[in-house]
Amino acid sequence: MLENIIKNYLINMAEVDPEKFKQPGLTVADLQLDSLGLLEMLFEVEDKYGFQIPEPMRFLSMTFAEMVADIEASVRAHHNGQMPVLDTAQAGG
Amino acid sequence: MKRVLITGLGMISPLGADKASSFAGALQARSAIRIAPPNIAERLPQVLVAPAAAEPDSLLDKKFGGLDRATQFALVAAQEAMTDARMASPPDDATRFGVFAGIGFGGAHTMDNLYSRYFETVHAATGKHVVLHPLSVPRMMSNAAAAAVSMRYGLRGASNTYCVACASSAVAIGEALRAIRHGYLDAAIVLGTEAMLTPGTLMAWNALRVMAKPDPIDASRSCRPFAQNRSGFVLGEGAAALVLESQARARQRSAPVLAELGGYGCSSDAEHLTAPTVLGQVAAMRQALEEAQLAPQEVQYLNAHGTATDAGDVTETQSIHAVWGASAKQLAVSSTKALHGHLIGAGGAMEFALSIMAMNSGSLPPTAHLDEPDPRCDLDFIPLQARHGCEVQAVMSNSFAFGGSNASLVAHRYTP
Repeated sequence: MLENIIKNYLINMAEVDPEKFKQPGLTVADLQLDSLGLLEMLFEVEDKYGFQIPEPMRFLSMTFAEMVADIEASVRAHHNGQMPVLDTAQAGG
Repeated sequence: MKRVLITGLGMISPLGADKASSFAGALQARSAIRIAPPNIAERLPQVLVAPAAAEPDSLLDKKFGGLDRATQFALVAAQEAMTDARMASPPDDATRFGVFAGIGFGGAHTMDNLYSRYFETVHAATGKHVVLHPLSVPRMMSNAAAAAVSMRYGLRGASNTYCVACASSAVAIGEALRAIRHGYLDAAIVLGTEAMLTPGTLMAWNALRVMAKPDPIDASRSCRPFAQNRSGFVLGEGAAALVLESQARARQRSAPVLAELGGYGCSSDAEHLTAPTVLGQVAAMRQALEEAQLAPQEVQYLNAHGTATDAGDVTETQSIHAVWGASAKQLAVSSTKALHGHLIGAGGAMEFALSIMAMNSGSLPPTAHLDEPDPRCDLDFIPLQARHGCEVQAVMSNSFAFGGSNASLVAHRYTP
């Protein structure tokens, strides 16, 4: 779910090649986002879950999977350990 | 001192999504003024607006989708102007090519959305944090339009933004003229853009008591410059763009020339926050004529600032009398704001562009809804209907701003 939100954003809005996501060990650096691009990507999550993700630049040294896991941990930390179910109207952002 | 030519025009306005349809709308006296949409009318049922004829994002690549509406308008107008000028992108002389922009209230939509979001979240009291888009600041900065156009076309000369209320883009044109005339640049694209038809902004405008009241029979006839039954102005939105270049540069690439940008005048009233003065307006008009080396009688059409406020219309009429003297009544004057509303920062560029199209076509747009002329406004205001088949050698456009800033521009036919 969370992974799909991020992937869909990157493919549809940031023009990241969908083939990239088949690559094992894909890193965040491989996405070739500039610093503003990285912030825009995180906003897709922040907007839906209602909090600001701290220290965004740390993601640049992670794999894509590590980043998703890290963000998921942050979301759970803000929602009593749960992943909130997003209503679709809100998910449109 | 270099001669400066206008080689491209572009526009998206309440009258049309491009310059041809906008000018046609002005000639047909097709008013774009209407009652505000429901999100504004729910609190301001009397307020009128002149929305752009098309949604700017529908005319742009989706990567521009998140930009402030004013920036999107500027990109649309720039697109048409650069194509019109047959300009390569990036140009070979990119470091000699500047961007000059005028805007009254940069980032109005971005800011209105930002505060709506903030207060909605706070009032909902769900404990949720307020999270704003990370690009909120670069989207709402006043130079966002200049930056977007500079990046899109690879223009590396100066990119300056003028924030001079209703005179913003007239000043931007004039300052670009000076930069090219004095050799700092060889070319520039000038942008005038404005997008502030938001609930918050219109609440503020409404409080100033300068907005037109809806005509009870036909809301589209509510803005009546130079008429005894005037009631104020209507805010519009949109953008216009002009490509300027030195005569040498235009010659070298055999560019299509629309007009010569002859002169620019600017002054400050130093009197009152909102009330205009004859002295300041006359100074701006005389400077523009002097730079263009034209006698007033050599100008056949003037697009007036003409906002349909009592003080504005009467003062401008007196100023025109002062400059033109005994020949004032031979000058054809119109205020197209009756049709497209007041585009504030975009108004100067849009109205100057319309004036150039009037000169080149010989068709002068009318002052619409002027059934009951104000006797204090005793000039040839081209009432109600366009005038065709006119011999026009030179035109002037006036933009007089709150804060007392005045700007006048003169264009004339180009003879090499």
